[in-house]
Amino acid sequence: MDLNLTAEALAFQDELRAWLGANLHRPWREELRDPAATEDSLVELRRAWQRKLYQGGYLGMGWPAEWGGRGATEVEKAIFDVELAAADAPPILNILGIGLLGPALIHHGSEAQRRRFIPPMLSGDEIWCQGFSEPGAGSDLASLKTAAVLDGDHFVLNGQKVWTTFGPWADWIFVLCRTDQKDRYGGISFVLCKLDTPGVTVRPLRQITGESEFGEVFFEDTRVPKENLVGKIGEGWRIAMTVLAYERGASSLSYSHRFARDLRLLARALEERGRLSGSAREKVARLVVENEVMRANGIRMLATFAEGKAPGTESSLEKIFWSEFDQRFRETALDLLGPGGQLLRSSPGARPDVDWAREFLWSRAGTIYSGSSEVQRNIIAKRVLGLPQT
Amino acid sequence: MRFELSDDQQLLRSSTRDFFTKAAPLEHSRRIMEQDARGFEAPQWRQLAEMGYVGLVVPADRGGQGLGAVELAVVAEEAGRVCLPGPWLDAVLAAALLAQANGQDELLRQVCEGHKIVTIARFDAPFAGAAEPATRVEGAKLRGTKYFVPFAVAADALCVVTPAGVVLATAPFDVTPTSTLDLAQRFGTVAFDHVATPLGPASLLEGIDRLGAVGAGAMLLGIMQRCLETTLAYVNTRAAFSRPIGAFQALQHRLANMLLRVESTRSAVYRAAWCVDANHPDTALACATAKAYAGDAARLVCGETIQMHGGIGFTWELDVHLYFKRAKTLEQFYGSTEEQLERALDASGFLGADR
Repeated sequence: MDLNLTAEALAFQDELRAWLGANLHRPWREELRDPAATEDSLVELRRAWQRKLYQGGYLGMGWPAEWGGRGATEVEKAIFDVELAAADAPPILNILGIGLLGPALIHHGSEAQRRRFIPPMLSGDEIWCQGFSEPGAGSDLASLKTAAVLDGDHFVLNGQKVWTTFGPWADWIFVLCRTDQKDRYGGISFVLCKLDTPGVTVRPLRQITGESEFGEVFFEDTRVPKENLVGKIGEGWRIAMTVLAYERGASSLSYSHRFARDLRLLARALEERGRLSGSAREKVARLVVENEVMRANGIRMLATFAEGKAPGTESSLEKIFWSEFDQRFRETALDLLGPGGQLLRSSPGARPDVDWAREFLWSRAGTIYSGSSEVQRNIIAKRVLGLPQT
Repeated sequence: MRFELSDDQQLLRSSTRDFFTKAAPLEHSRRIMEQDARGFEAPQWRQLAEMGYVGLVVPADRGGQGLGAVELAVVAEEAGRVCLPGPWLDAVLAAALLAQANGQDELLRQVCEGHKIVTIARFDAPFAGAAEPATRVEGAKLRGTKYFVPFAVAADALCVVTPAGVVLATAPFDVTPTSTLDLAQRFGTVAFDHVATPLGPASLLEGIDRLGAVGAGAMLLGIMQRCLETTLAYVNTRAAFSRPIGAFQALQHRLANMLLRVESTRSAVYRAAWCVDANHPDTALACATAKAYAGDAARLVCGETIQMHGGIGFTWELDVHLYFKRAKTLEQFYGSTEEQLERALDASGFLGADR
């Protein structure tokens, strides 16, 4: 066992810290509570931040050099996530483009598609959203119905996508659509569609936080040029599964940094009020312990990367752990803070340290998106525990 | 960077598993439990000591193996898998304590060789909430009572924690043996009126407590791992409603929860062990975390093991209750969950921070 970072990894960490020190002027927490901040202004702020990261050479680090890559290892990519979390940098705006579509194009796209789509994706000039879920296809994604019928040089799209994150601000969408009604998996294709194409309607959906980060996207006889097909017809499911693997990563370690920061602020707020005794003290201590276990899981995952192994089902365990911890943490924080914990950011009297009310609401999302806790437990039961399937 | 064990550590794991499986099969341990008030057998104990398991973390030049906390975790995990009877972890910790004290080389050698049994006497009350220390050192004499003294009946000497520091008292002892849930872990109430040999200040225990947290956490890990394996085997064969019960999602998701606890405990325990050996700044927090989490995790895993076995899981005949009981003992000793939570909070640096 050796849980120390290598000299190379430490050098990368130092370089990144220095870069962040010089380039990140205000933590995201403070941007969010700027009285002048609006949903649109925050999007633009994130776009500008993404451009800075791109110019600094920190986006697409693991991709081939011609697409912005620098031969970064999985460990360096994980360090990147951790350091950005520790510095409380704004979240990367085009995370779905860079996290999912980028790898799809690099592995399955044509040369022309890579040249056309990757540079503006990295610079933040074109924001992507993900058209996977449908009203009738959530956890059971392969039952999706959005149809793509070939008509000359175009696909004609009809159907509806939903829970489309960034839909309201995005320029483009990558769509999983059905090109064969009979073949459940082999009848799915992966198509890129510009959102201002005639026949596309994007409608924001208001979330429980009051924000509209996601929306729904309708296709009515939408004509998409044939060259916007990624891979071959019928390869969509396979491509989607490969790119979803990229959505994973050593998330525990970066989450544990964020949670530790908020836990420290919670402990301080309680201590100031003389509330850190008895049952409150035990509750905070339990959260500290669970967060440290998450950190240990993250360090173990990092070591797995360092040995050149791809994460397998560990990522399901990791996701269940952080998302369910997030809920326990945020609920407990409100319990301990009292009604003041419910104050909205814009309200007089709200605590300036953490937007506790918003975090509480947001914690409900983590156990649903990107493979619900139920789906993750099914994956573990089947692939790790090898339990009989019905 | 590597989480996996080194080749030597893996060899230690496989040889320990072989040895424990042969030397301490559960049917043998059951006989000790039910028939031997000492909680272990002398020949088996000496064999364990001869293999180097008692002096595991004692420096080689003091008669031990000179191994670290990671190796302790490896052996403790295997001990947990077989629910090893006897004072193994207690003796390992007492030996580590004696190795830090001066002038105890002869006793230490005999402990490492298995000729003498020494454990640490800590509890000032039988139930939680002792406000006053129950032992005191008056001149050269140790007086008072200690409760839940591990393997007191068999002890040749005891390291006793008092307000004046840690002192050594030697047999004979006035012991009232007690019986607890886990009959392979024997405790006794000891009334002292003994010559007290000073071993050192109470701060000696800081390092011992961390080793105890790692050792107990790793035993809990071994227990949980074994429980999960046993339960998986059972749900794959036991049929109800014309299918193996493991096919029911109501059980599958709970088994996934068990795996989550087992693997998270593994991360926490081995990270803590590594921190101890590396003298890492996170050591105190990592050790408290490992023990507190392992205790909670084992409640769930061992409890679910009984539940998923149904009626047979509640019988004396099936082995799962042995694991359930040992887990409860380990949870309350070697720094209870309550104590570890407090240590974790202290070590987090979140209290009274930069005011």
